[in-house]
Amino acid sequence: MPRHLLLIGLLTFIGSSIIVIGLISGVYKDFILNSLSDNNTVISSTDSSDASIGGHVPGYPIGDTSGTIIDPIDQVVDSQNSVVDPEKYLREFNYGRVSTTPNGTTLREFTLVASDQLVKEISPGVSYNVWTFNGTVPGPTIRATEGDVVRINFVNNGSLPHSLHTHGIHPAEMDGVFEMISPGGKFTYEFVAEPFGVFPYHCHMTPLEEHIAHGLYGVYIVDPKSPRAPADEMVMVMNGYDTDFDTENNFYTVNGIPYYYMHHPIQIEKDKPVRLYLVNMLEFDPLNNFHLHANMFNYYPSGTSLQPDELTDIISLNQGERGIMEFKYKFPGKYMFHAHKTEFAEKGWMGTFFVDDKIATRNSSQIDNSPFYDTLNNSFVTKIPQTSGARM
Amino acid sequence: MASIRNTGPLEIVVSQADINDRIQPAAIEPSNSITRLGEAKVMIPFPWIPGIPYEIGITTSDGTRFSKSVEAAALAPTPDANQALLFTSLGVYVGVIPVLIGLMWYPYIRRISIGKYSFFLSLTAGLLIFLGIDALLEVNEIVNQNLAAVFNGQALSVLVTISSFIVLLYTSERLTQRAIEKAVLKKNNHSLASSSSVGKLGKSEKSTTERQGGEIYNKSAKISSSTQEVQIQLQRYQQLLKPLTISMMIAIGIGLHNFGEGLAIGAAMLLGEVALSTFLIVGFTLHNTTEGLAIVAPIAKIERSRRMMIRRLVTMGLIAGVPTIAGTWIGGFLYSPIAAVIFLSVGAGAIFQVVYSLISWISHHQKSAPSSPLSGHVIAGFITGLLIMYLTGLLL
Repeated sequence: MPRHLLLIGLLTFIGSSIIVIGLISGVYKDFILNSLSDNNTVISSTDSSDASIGGHVPGYPIGDTSGTIIDPIDQVVDSQNSVVDPEKYLREFNYGRVSTTPNGTTLREFTLVASDQLVKEISPGVSYNVWTFNGTVPGPTIRATEGDVVRINFVNNGSLPHSLHTHGIHPAEMDGVFEMISPGGKFTYEFVAEPFGVFPYHCHMTPLEEHIAHGLYGVYIVDPKSPRAPADEMVMVMNGYDTDFDTENNFYTVNGIPYYYMHHPIQIEKDKPVRLYLVNMLEFDPLNNFHLHANMFNYYPSGTSLQPDELTDIISLNQGERGIMEFKYKFPGKYMFHAHKTEFAEKGWMGTFFVDDKIATRNSSQIDNSPFYDTLNNSFVTKIPQTSGARM
Repeated sequence: MASIRNTGPLEIVVSQADINDRIQPAAIEPSNSITRLGEAKVMIPFPWIPGIPYEIGITTSDGTRFSKSVEAAALAPTPDANQALLFTSLGVYVGVIPVLIGLMWYPYIRRISIGKYSFFLSLTAGLLIFLGIDALLEVNEIVNQNLAAVFNGQALSVLVTISSFIVLLYTSERLTQRAIEKAVLKKNNHSLASSSSVGKLGKSEKSTTERQGGEIYNKSAKISSSTQEVQIQLQRYQQLLKPLTISMMIAIGIGLHNFGEGLAIGAAMLLGEVALSTFLIVGFTLHNTTEGLAIVAPIAKIERSRRMMIRRLVTMGLIAGVPTIAGTWIGGFLYSPIAAVIFLSVGAGAIFQVVYSLISWISHHQKSAPSSPLSGHVIAGFITGLLIMYLTGLLL
């Protein structure tokens, strides 16, 4: 009897093994075939769906959802607290309050207020304690002509010592390195703008990496005495944010907000020259780069020469490096530009140009050598200027 | 397509999702603001490649990033008929069939000597101790890998294990007493006095923990002056019902344990690991054939008609085996680490309660036999039990 039972047991065991293995392989085969053949599976949610995600990238699966959509690449979000308005920043050049010195030189006076207390939205929904010049990252672009006297009224409105270090040629005491400005302190930096080119300015207090990584930087442009040819001019600062303090950037941007120019393409005109002042203020990563699609550009390293160095579609910049790019588009359409260090691109450093046959609404004041336009013309400002809300 | 669940210690707002640290558009249901201990589902449309490892991250509104790695991407099973059928058959195969096969030890154990019988009883205890420890280790693994620290999983599992041990101990004592009371009442409905005495006896037995039949006999003799006949019957029922209760509790304990196994299999299916490890399932199955033996051993020596016994055995086999099916469903369709921790801990508590009953049963048996309580048979059986589980466990 026991032997009999054990035999029955064994047979049952073997039989059921075969059935189950068969079932598993059968059902699993369906899964695998499904996954191979059907890439555009739709996420179906149990609730009635009211939105979809993923549709902007051709070939990507599309999903419907009743929940919150978080899509910094494609989604436009109204923000009352964005760290900068990249639309405005792109073509905003500040020429300062202009006067003439007794010996006839042009004097340009700027005010920069440093702060380390603001918490701003640096990517939709992500807040970060940014350290700012005049409340934005990057700080305002200041611009002068070679030979002008540049006077910068610096106010430290923060809780830590800060300073202003400008690249270019100037006396040691105007270099903003050894003289720290205490919280609540003021200092006036004054020097002659030379040579012509594109330069960064930034805080030079230690820890240097911390002060720069938090956002204390901006662009300083010196035009040659005989102006460059007219062009659609814009400025781009490549930066990053280390929001979790692990000395690695979580976000990479051009002009302060990740992916901004993906959903706000930069409008440019076909066959019209574009001049781009490009500055790399990225911390932690030694190298950053810029790749322009479907085109080539003339590149002027540091902008200190009127002769281009090379014709290329990609330029790599170390920390603090910068230059001027000149190009024009031959065909209308939408073109991407991004870091060819693709990790940076996929963490926010990408954007698009939209090339149009004719842009009727273009404001002529945004073209070079236009009458200036000056948001920094008030003398001493002790209050931090409010940034206007932006769509990000 | 991926959906992940998120349990966080604080109210957080999820602002971004990424795959392999590259930002991706995503949707969060029901909302991207998640309350303390709340859950949300993050959906990231992505051309997943089956079999490739991915890291999925979310970034909260303060810029902190959390991530979790997936060893191999696979399509999550959807609860359709096919899937339910597969899970059911897996449950039957892993849980029900091996336990029933194990029950076929019954005729063999029935015929062996009291020494060998002790060997098998202690072997059962060894098997169960191993299963109990195994369950707790499994809990620990789940706690470390998948449970948010805020739940304090280890402490939770200790709490649940001890509670289930105590509650089941109490329940089994009470069930035995109830059954005896009923049986005695049926046979002796002529004497009101004896019934009340048995009622009192039940209460006093409850308040003490574990007593042997002989002591109860004495106590009842003290309490009432009922006839010798009743007492003899009482003792007979005690002898009969005690092992049945132990077997039933073993069946329930193993059932809970198998429920845990079912959860593991279902969860493995969910994570897409089954294609790689049909072997794992076969391993579980072999491992489980030993569980039938555990159920059979305590009742093997009772005088009872064979047909009654087979019916009982099959019932107990099903109690032990069928929860595996429920486990695969729950594990496969609504896996939650906290539920897994609770179920496995309840199972561990149940198993330890059974081991406790078994040990007292063995020592009772040893007392009635001339050999010493800790005989060579008992020690050999216990160690063999542990070894069998370890060795069959190696197959996994």
